[in-house]
Amino acid sequence: MTDTVERKALTREQLLSAYRMMRAIREFEERVHAEFASGEIPGFVHLYAGEEASAVGVCSNLDDRDTIASTHRGHGHCIAKGVDVGEMMAEIYGRKTGSCHGKGGSMHIADLSKGMLGANGIVGGGPPLICGTALAAKLKGTGGVSVAFFGDGASNQGTTLESMNLASVWNLPVMFVAENNGYAETTSSTWSVASDNIADRAAGFGMPGVIVDGFDFFAVHEAASEAIARARAGGGPTLLEMKFTRYFGHFEGDQQTYRAGEVEHARAELDCLRRFATRVTATGELTQSDLDAADAEVAATIDRAVDEAKAAPPPAEADLLTDVYVRY
Amino acid sequence: MGDAIVGVVANPLSGRDIRRLVTQASVFPTAEKANMIQRMLTALAAVGVQRVLLGTDLGGISAAVFRAIERRRGAGGRWPEVEFLDGQPIRQTAQDTVDAVRRMVTAGAQVIVCLGGDGTARVTASAAGDVPMLALSTGTNNTFPAVREATIAGLAAGLVATGTVPADDVTARAKLLEARVGDRAETALIDVAVSTERHVGSRAVWDPATLTQLFCAFAEPDAIGLSSILGQLSPVARHEPHGVTARLTPEAPRTVLAPIAPGLVVPVGVSEVERMHPGSVHPIDARAGVIAVDGERELTFEPGESPTVRLRADGPRCLDVPAVLAASARLGLLRRTRDWQRGQSPSSSEDLHAPTV
Repeated sequence: MTDTVERKALTREQLLSAYRMMRAIREFEERVHAEFASGEIPGFVHLYAGEEASAVGVCSNLDDRDTIASTHRGHGHCIAKGVDVGEMMAEIYGRKTGSCHGKGGSMHIADLSKGMLGANGIVGGGPPLICGTALAAKLKGTGGVSVAFFGDGASNQGTTLESMNLASVWNLPVMFVAENNGYAETTSSTWSVASDNIADRAAGFGMPGVIVDGFDFFAVHEAASEAIARARAGGGPTLLEMKFTRYFGHFEGDQQTYRAGEVEHARAELDCLRRFATRVTATGELTQSDLDAADAEVAATIDRAVDEAKAAPPPAEADLLTDVYVRY
Repeated sequence: MGDAIVGVVANPLSGRDIRRLVTQASVFPTAEKANMIQRMLTALAAVGVQRVLLGTDLGGISAAVFRAIERRRGAGGRWPEVEFLDGQPIRQTAQDTVDAVRRMVTAGAQVIVCLGGDGTARVTASAAGDVPMLALSTGTNNTFPAVREATIAGLAAGLVATGTVPADDVTARAKLLEARVGDRAETALIDVAVSTERHVGSRAVWDPATLTQLFCAFAEPDAIGLSSILGQLSPVARHEPHGVTARLTPEAPRTVLAPIAPGLVVPVGVSEVERMHPGSVHPIDARAGVIAVDGERELTFEPGESPTVRLRADGPRCLDVPAVLAASARLGLLRRTRDWQRGQSPSSSEDLHAPTV
């Protein structure tokens, strides 16, 4: 018989939760995009809008035992893994009430209580971290799975390739998720990734590599559920490659002279939220009013997060020497 | 007579889907697809094909062939002139294959070769019209395309494209299944399966418990894929005019152990096996679900849409590679004289009616 996952349809609650999560990411990012232009947000932000189905399709298969490592484009992963959006927004504004007490900013949001090891300013910084948490989970027998999200740029980094090798050699409960949005900053992946498909590299490490339509929540969820179940059962690592487009520039302020028309096409034809809504209302699994209610609820949450972040105090001088060392 | 033209289209995404994960299906690297095309170019040149029309992609296949052509410049060794079918948007969807094949048909290709799996062959067939097609396997579930050395495929395609072997002698029209939901339709070359899953998702079908009905244009006993279910119960050959259909249910008294995907041999309950006759319309009974064509979920349907499946006799013209090379052997088409070895015309055979040695 097959050792694959028994295919169960997602429940109404699961579908609604997935939609709410994807909508929260979109709303969060659209709002940060607008607020960043006002100059109140310090540092850089890299927005995840367009890629929501990846974070949510993967993380909706995870639980409290599991850890994820993220990228410089980390807001979506944080939200999908359950980090509080109010604390995230405060962190981005550099406020004391933020996830990291306002000392990290967008690229360092972390919440170990949620298994979120952190957004990461180092390209390719995440994969070695999850090899560590996966080894811990394996040795302790927790059944936990570790997931590294990384981009097409990081797919060329030694850290990523070494981690794939290590994960395979040690048969770690790991899933590598290559989020290929087509550009490493401004460099097209068709120029910079020698194997063209990142998934093809899996073969070199003796693990399965699968290409997934990153705009389709259902495709991501299915593939991730199989890979995660495989990892949990001791089957070892898997590489999934999401193919999609980010809706904003590499960072806010990027003039995007390296691409034309892609975003408009993706927003109009491929958008993960729109596709999800069309599908679940066609099948009758959810109604339009379910979705409208979720939209309103999310919009209110994000409004509140921004208002509270703006009102919160920055860290004080006395906070400078706290949190320098952390006991895990 | 004009140039002998062969069209070649390779799917950069074939052999990459979730079946690598769930059933250990084979991996077909981009580099190997490009190598296959290069081996084919050598064979096509050897039998006198002047032009090859090559589909373009963002997966790196056409780029690798382009680089190989550049490297060969001035280094000897003939290849046909390769014309890259660029200049139109590449969407990275099946539409790219359709667009390329249509351009090949318009440009007068005498044979179209596709590299991919069953899905790629299905899409190529939908656009190839009456041009003979040759499907080479580089995909996952390969019932329709053959696992065959590209050099041999190139020789066969070339012998037909040049008219050296008459196409009518070595091609046969395949059957086709048409699945229809209202004004939406998809065709399948092998099988149509009805699944109770609600979404297309990752497309592949690997859980027999979700399947309720199966329709096969042909069902070979040694097939891989869903058609293997009926291939072991009620085989139907490709050349026979009829097809076969059945209901699938775990409760059926009769169960067949079937290789429904590479690496997956599962028991499937089968009942009500019936013949399908060309033209007759078969209703799909499930209230809602997904229709899979040649093993990939494509068409969703909701209550009240009453989908149907019909067997058609007007499928693609398929080139029979063994038949071409058997004709070549019979007619001595690949025999050459010593003079030719010293640099004569590449397509002149020693003697079309030479006795066998």
